[in-house]
Amino acid sequence: MFKRALFLGIVSGLLAGIAGILYARVYYTANEADFSKVVTSVKIISGSLFGGVLAAIGYTLLAKTLKTRGEIVFNLLFTVISFASLLLPIAYKLPLTIETPELFPGMVIPMHFFPALGWYTLKPLFIKDPKVQRLA
Amino acid sequence: MKLFYPIAATVLLVGSAFTFITAPNWQIADNYSIAFSNDQAGGIFKDFKGTIAFDDKNPATAKFDVSIAVASLNTGNALQNKHAKSAEWFDATKYPTIHFVSTKVVKAGNGYQVTGTLDMHGVQKPVTIPFTFQHAGAGGTFAGTFTINRSDFKIGEPGGEVSEPVKLEIAVPVK
Repeated sequence: MFKRALFLGIVSGLLAGIAGILYARVYYTANEADFSKVVTSVKIISGSLFGGVLAAIGYTLLAKTLKTRGEIVFNLLFTVISFASLLLPIAYKLPLTIETPELFPGMVIPMHFFPALGWYTLKPLFIKDPKVQRLA
Repeated sequence: MKLFYPIAATVLLVGSAFTFITAPNWQIADNYSIAFSNDQAGGIFKDFKGTIAFDDKNPATAKFDVSIAVASLNTGNALQNKHAKSAEWFDATKYPTIHFVSTKVVKAGNGYQVTGTLDMHGVQKPVTIPFTFQHAGAGGTFAGTFTINRSDFKIGEPGGEVSEPVKLEIAVPVK
């Protein structure tokens, strides 16, 4: 169980990281706001991987302790934690050399949802839902 | 006609005397730094301009007339910027400029002291700023650090979470 969840966490985290890097490039092109010295590609990938692996641990623990309700609680928690993490970029203090701090949350906030989106999107490929299998 | 030459000579003499006591004008270079800080908040002002006339050998002739655009304030955080520019603090809409005009410059120890009127947030107060001037090639750098009490300029509520003294650190390269 944990092995599959971990694999899902790593893959969804990596994809979220790649999506984050692409989004940062698009954001820079559209807004001329370069935060690449603060939000480096390595930080985006490692942050997304951290989110994915943490999700895998949380999913396994909740599925084992709460059985069938584990996934419901996990999904709720994952979304709530993703929302709560928005406080970090909003409160983040950038170096004073960056002239457009007001554009920073707009770039980072969507990235905070990418690991959850990756997880929800890829989960059926890694962890089969017994109810769906029964219907099939 | 008899008086023309004596008057002309006097005018020339007086005029030339004034040219001798006028300090050279310096042009403010781009890489200046106007920073403010205390334990709770800090940031920079990005837009600074004005005229500086200063002769380090004759500081009494110096004249500073500089201003800062309040809207150029940057704390590094968008919410803090908005808050600092709001009516509760600097009120950038109503008081868009911080203005300083010198009235007296004197030598003080290894540096100088400029006394003048600081106009900030609609309040005009005399302040004295110690500073140094370091020559560098054809230019130089003015540097000074001083502290003001934000309540003296009615910035923010007296007391509260943000402490009263605000340290200002200024470094202005000139050419």
